[in-house]
Amino acid sequence: MTGAAGHTTNVVPHESAAKHVTGEAVYVDDILVSGELLVGRVVTSPHAHAKILSFDLGAARAVPGVHAVLSSRDIPGVNDMGPVVHDEVCLAADRVFCVGQAVFLIAAESAEQCRAAERLIHVVYEPLAPILTLADAIAQGTLLGPPASIVRGDAASAIRKAPHRFSGELETGAQEHWYLESQVALCVPGEGKELQVYSSSQHPSETQALVASVLGIGKHDVVVEVRRMGGAFGGKETQANHTACWTALLARASGRPVKIRLFRDDDMIMTGKRHRFLSRYEAGFDDRGMLLGLSAELHCDGGCATDLTFAILQRAMLHIDNTYFIPDITVVGKAYRTNLPSNTAFRGFGGPQGMAVVEQVIDRVARTLGLDAAEVRRRNFYGTDSRNVTHYGQTVERNHLPLLFDRLTASSGYAKRRADAGIFNASHEFVKRGIALTPVKFGISFTTSFLNQAGALVLIYKDGTILVNHGGTEMGQGLHTKMQQIAAREFGVSLDRVKVNATNTAKVPNTSATAASAGSDLNGMAVKNAADILKARIAEAIAPVLTGGNTSDPTRPEDILFEKNSIVDGRHAGRSISFADAMPVMQRLQVSLSASGFYKTPGIGWDSVKGTGKPFFYFAFGMAVTEAELDLLTGRHTILRADILYDVGESLNPQIDLGQIEGGFVQGLGWCTTEEIKWDDKGNLLTHSPDTYKIPSVQDIPREFYTALLDNVPNPGTIHSSKAVAEPPFMLALSAWLAIKDALSAASNHTKEPEFSLPATNEVILLSLEKLKAR
Amino acid sequence: MKSSFSFILDGTVVTIDAESGLPPTTTVLEYLRASAAHKGVKEGCAEGDCGACTVVLGSADASGRISYAAVDSCLVFLPMLHGKELVTVENIAPDTGLHPVQEAMVATGGSQCGFCTPGFIMSLFALSKNHDHPSREVIDDALTGNLCRCTGYQPIIAAAAASCVHGGRDHFSAGEERVAAMLRSIPQGSICLRTEHQVYHRPASLGEALSLLHQHQDAIVIGGASDIGLRVTKRHELLASIIDISGIGELKACADQGTFAEFGAGASLSAVEESARAAFPALAAMLSVFGSRQIRNVATLGGNLGTASPIGDMLPVLFAYDAVILLEGMNRRREIPVREFIVGYRKTLRRPDELITGVRIAKPGPDAAVRSYKVSKRKDLDISTVSGAFRLERDAAGRVSSIVLAYGGMAERTKRAAAAEEFLLGKPWDRSSVEGAMALMSKDFTPISDARAGAEMRSVAARNLLLKFWNDTQR
Ligand SMILES: Cc1cc2nc3c(=O)[nH]c(=O)nc-3n(C[C@H](O)[C@H](O)[C@H](O)COP(=O)(O)OP(=O)(O)OC[C@H]3O[C@@H](n4cnc5c(N)ncnc54)[C@H](O)[C@@H]3O)c2cc1C
Ligand code: FES
Ligand code: FES
Repeated sequence: MTGAAGHTTNVVPHESAAKHVTGEAVYVDDILVSGELLVGRVVTSPHAHAKILSFDLGAARAVPGVHAVLSSRDIPGVNDMGPVVHDEVCLAADRVFCVGQAVFLIAAESAEQCRAAERLIHVVYEPLAPILTLADAIAQGTLLGPPASIVRGDAASAIRKAPHRFSGELETGAQEHWYLESQVALCVPGEGKELQVYSSSQHPSETQALVASVLGIGKHDVVVEVRRMGGAFGGKETQANHTACWTALLARASGRPVKIRLFRDDDMIMTGKRHRFLSRYEAGFDDRGMLLGLSAELHCDGGCATDLTFAILQRAMLHIDNTYFIPDITVVGKAYRTNLPSNTAFRGFGGPQGMAVVEQVIDRVARTLGLDAAEVRRRNFYGTDSRNVTHYGQTVERNHLPLLFDRLTASSGYAKRRADAGIFNASHEFVKRGIALTPVKFGISFTTSFLNQAGALVLIYKDGTILVNHGGTEMGQGLHTKMQQIAAREFGVSLDRVKVNATNTAKVPNTSATAASAGSDLNGMAVKNAADILKARIAEAIAPVLTGGNTSDPTRPEDILFEKNSIVDGRHAGRSISFADAMPVMQRLQVSLSASGFYKTPGIGWDSVKGTGKPFFYFAFGMAVTEAELDLLTGRHTILRADILYDVGESLNPQIDLGQIEGGFVQGLGWCTTEEIKWDDKGNLLTHSPDTYKIPSVQDIPREFYTALLDNVPNPGTIHSSKAVAEPPFMLALSAWLAIKDALSAASNHTKEPEFSLPATNEVILLSLEKLKAR
Repeated sequence: MKSSFSFILDGTVVTIDAESGLPPTTTVLEYLRASAAHKGVKEGCAEGDCGACTVVLGSADASGRISYAAVDSCLVFLPMLHGKELVTVENIAPDTGLHPVQEAMVATGGSQCGFCTPGFIMSLFALSKNHDHPSREVIDDALTGNLCRCTGYQPIIAAAAASCVHGGRDHFSAGEERVAAMLRSIPQGSICLRTEHQVYHRPASLGEALSLLHQHQDAIVIGGASDIGLRVTKRHELLASIIDISGIGELKACADQGTFAEFGAGASLSAVEESARAAFPALAAMLSVFGSRQIRNVATLGGNLGTASPIGDMLPVLFAYDAVILLEGMNRRREIPVREFIVGYRKTLRRPDELITGVRIAKPGPDAAVRSYKVSKRKDLDISTVSGAFRLERDAAGRVSSIVLAYGGMAERTKRAAAAEEFLLGKPWDRSSVEGAMALMSKDFTPISDARAGAEMRSVAARNLLLKFWNDTQR
C-alpha cells in the first residue's frame, strides 16, 4: 500500500516514460554524429602523490589514427576547474595529487588506437608520500581551510552538569554515486571558435563557463545542452565539468567532434564520492533522555581539492540537530586534504553525515537509559511554540513532526511490533530482529544564498503549442514533467500542448546547478513568472477581440481566464476563443509570444561565518519506521519492512514524489549497509567496479515497503504550495541502519553498546558481535 | 565448414561473414550500439553486473516453440548468436502502442532517469514469456541482474506483477512459427571465422571440438563466456584462438539416472538449477544466489569448473556431493572425483586437450544432510566472500560417521577443513563437538584480506557457517 491520498489530481507519468521503455530516449552517448567523430581518452595518474619529472608524447602522437595528444601545456586558456576555490587543475602540470587524476588526453579514430597511443606515453614520476586516511590527515593537520563552528550556549558546561553523559566516535563511509550512465560529453566544433557541448551535467552554466575558460574563449561561443542524464545524484554537479572540458580541449585541438564516455571503472576511479566523515561527540542528557548539551567535531575528507567541500561540511553542521532541540550545542567542522579524488556533492550534501551523528547519540541515550528510542526522539523534537529555534537561529515553522510521529507510529504499528521483536528475540539465538524510527528535517535552499535564483524562457508558437525552457536539468527526478505540468496549469492547456526543451545555455543563461533539492521550487516559479507575463500580454490584447461588438460591457483583461484549452471572459462564458485559435490573432496584433521568467527566493540569508541567520526558505519533514532481521552467524541483514510518511506540501506529482522518496530511501539503504569503498595503501581504489562495489539490488529493498504522503499540508509561498523532495528521503534510511543496530544490540539483550559504524556491512556486524561476545 | 554465422534481428536473418573483418570477439552490445537503430541498449558496466545491456535470445526447441532467455549482451560474443533470435528493446512494441510490460512500466512510474529501463524491459519481457502471475520470489529473481539507482525497484516489481498475466501471449506469439521456420533455415553446422588476428571455431559436435582442441591446445575454450568475456571487455585482450563450445547440443543434457544424475558441462546454470532442485537441493540453493538470471542463462557448469576459481560457487557444493568430473579427449575418457580434480590455485587435472563434458553426482542417502551457504556483502549477484558446503552422516548412535566441510574463499583453492573434520569424526553431533571443531579451523585456514573482506571476517564467517549447519540440522 503506497499512498498518496489527497494528492491524486496531479498523477501524470514522467514526460519521457514512453521513450524510456522503448529505448527511444536519447542520452549523450546515443546522439548520432557523422563519421568524423573521434573517441577521446583520458590518461590518468598511477600515483596518489608524485612529481611529474618529464614526459614524452612524440611516439603516442605518431600512432596512426591519433589526432591529438594533449598535456597541460596544450591548454589554450586557464588550467583550472575549481568551482569555488581555484585549487583544481584540468590536467596535471607538475604534480599529481591522486590516483586517477587526469594528466594527458588522446583523441583517435578508435578506442583501440587511443589505448595504443596511451601505451606509448612515457612519463617519469617521482612518487611522494601520500595521505590516504582521515586519521593521517587529522594527525598531520592537512586542513583545506579554517575550521568552522556553530555555537549556541555553553555545551561544555551543560554536558558537565548533565545527570548522564557519554562521548564517542562515529565513522560514516564514502559512497560512489553509481549513476547508471557514466560521465560523458560530446563536443562538436562549429565555425570560428564556436563549440556545441552535449554534456551529462547538472550544471550546464558552470560547464559552459569552465569550457570557455580552459579554451580561453567567451561564454557566448560555447553552447551547452543537456537533454537528460542517466542519473546524477550530485555526482554530475561539478564532476561533469571535467569530462566536458577534456572533450572540448580535444575537439578544439583536432577540429573534429569528440566524445569521451568514461568506462565504468575509470569513472569510479577518477571521480569524487560522498565525503567520508570521522565525527567525535560528547552528549549530556537527563533521566528522561532529554538532550541537554551536545558537542561535536566533524572531520571530513575533502580529497585532493576543495570542490564543494565547505558547503557540504556546512550542511552537515546545519543538520547535526536533525529534528531535535538541543539547548547548548557546539559543532565544529574541519575539512582535510587527502590524496584521493576530490569528494563532491551527493544527495543530502553532508546532511546524512551530520544527522547520523545525532541519531547515533539518541540511540545511545535510549540504550543507556533503557528507554524506547522512538519515545526519546519524540521528547527531543523541536516544539511548535517553544524549543523551536535551531542552533543557527532559524525558527522551525510549520513543524509537522508531531503529526508525522502520531500517524506513522499508528500506521506502522510501531509499539506492538517492537514488543513482538522482543518476543522473537527471546526465542531465537542466532537470528535477531530490531526496529527503529528516525525522522528527517531538511533545510531547503542553497546555503550560498545568492544561488537561489532561476530563469525560464517560455515560447508560444502560432499553433498554440508551448515550448518551455528553464535552467534546471532532468536527471530522472521528474523536473521536466513538473515544469510541463506547471506550464500547462498556468496556461490552462492540456499537457500535450506543452513541451519542455532540452536545457540549453543559449536559452537561459547564468543558472544555478540543479541541486539542493530546489530544482522545482526555483525553476517552477521562474516558469510561472514567464507564464504570468505572457498571460498578461495575451489578456490585454485578446480582451478587445472577445469584446467584439459588446462595447457597452467590454471584456476587461483582468476578467480573462486561461482554462480548458481556451481563453475566456470569466464574466461572460460565451466570450471565448480556443487557445490555439488565439495565437495567430496575437501575431496579427503584434504581441510578443516569448517571455523570460525569473525567480529569487525571498527572505533568506545568513552569516555563514557567525553561523546564524535564516539559511533555509523552509524545512522538509519525513519519518520512517524500519524493521530488520539479522543473521548473527553470517552478519546478513534483511529489511523486513519499512513505513515512510513524508511531507511534500501539495504534491506537484504524487507518483514522481513517491518515486523520489522510495528511490532516495533505497539509495540511503545502500550507503548504510553494503556500499563500502576501500582503497589500498597506495591510494588505489579497490572497489572500482560493480563486481566489488555493491549498490542495493531488487532483493535488498524492504520486503514490505509502504510509502505515503502527508495530506492537507500546503506549503505557503512555494510553487503550487509544494515542497521539495529529492534529497531528504535519503536520510530516512538511517532508520534501517539503527534497526540493524537494534538487532545487533539484542544479541547482548541490549545490555551493551555494540561497536557500530556506517556502512554496517556483514563484516562490521560479525566483528562487532565477536567483540560483544568477548566483553 | 562455414565462414559466416547468422541470427535473426529486426525480423530478418542477419548473416555476418568473417570477410567483414568484424572481430569475432565483438560483443553483442558493441554490435548493437554501433547501429543507429539500436541505441536503446545501454552499457552500464560491461561486466555483467548491471543488466543495462540486457537483451533476450529466442531459441527454437524441438517442437518449434520459441523459448526466451534474458542475457547480458555485454558478455556475449556475436557468433554465439548463431541460430538464435536476438530481441532488443526496440523490437518488442507492436506496430501501434506498447508491449504490456512497457505499458505497465509507464503506468507504475518504473522509470526515472530511464537509463536502466531498456534492460529492465527486456528482463520483464523474458519474465512475461516464461511465467504467468509470477510470485514476488520469481519477480525478484528475474530482476536481480538489473540495477536501478533511481527508483528503489518497487514500481518495477509492481509493473512485473501487473503485466505478466497473459500466459506469455503477446504479439510475438503469432509470429512464432515464422521465426521458428527462419531459425530452421539457418544451417546448424560448424563455423570457423578467421580474421586478421583471430580464429574463432564454433564446432557443432563434441567429436569435432575434441579434434580442434587436439590441434590447437593453446586455444581458449568458451562455454558461456561469462568469465572469458571479461578479458575482452575489461582487459582489452586480443584472444587469438577460440573454440566456442556453446553450440554443442550433446554437452547440454541434464539427465536423472535414478541413483545418480549427470549434468552436461555445456548446460546453462539455469538448466542445472532447474534439474537439481528435487534431488540436489543444496546445489539448487547455491545456484539461486549465483550471479543473476542473465548470467545463469549463459554461464555453464563446465565453465565454472574450468575457472577452478577459489571463490567459484560450484566447487564446494560438488565437494559436498562427492561429484565426479567427466573429461574427454580425443579417443579418451576419464572420470576424476572433484575432490582430486582441483590441485592448486586455478589448477586442475584437466589436460590441455581435454574438455570437461559433465558432472556425475550420486544421490545422497536419506540420512545424509547436505547444505550450502554463501556469505557475500550483498545477498545476490555478488561473489562469495566465504562459501561453505557441508555433508554430514551419522551412525545409529548419532555419532558423526562421515563429514565433509568444504569451503570457498578460505584458501587458494576450494579446501576442506581437515582438522575440524577429523575432530568431529566419531563424536556426537552436538553443539559442544561443533564448537570444538570451530576452534580448530584456524589450523585449517589462513585466509586473505581483499576488496571483499578482511581475513578476520573470513575466519569468523567460516566458523559460524559450521554452527549454522549444525543449527539447521537440528530442525
Ligand atoms: C556478473 C557475474 C556474476 C558472477 N557470479 C558468479 C557467482 O555468483 N559464482 C561463481 O562461482 N561465479 C560467478 N561468476 C563467474 C562465472 O560466471 C562463472 O564461473 C561461470 O560458471 C563461468 O561459466 P562460463 O560457461 O560462462 O565460462 P567461460 O567464460 O566460457 O569459461 C570459463 C573458463 O572455463 C573454461 N571452460 C569452459 N567450458 C569448459 C569445458 N567444457 N571444459 C573445459 N574448460 C572449460 C574456459 O576455457 C575458461 O577458462 C560471475 C560472473 C559474472 C560476470
Ligand atoms: S553493461 Fe552492465 S551488465 Fe552489461
Ligand atoms: S531509472 Fe535511473 S537507474 Fe533506473
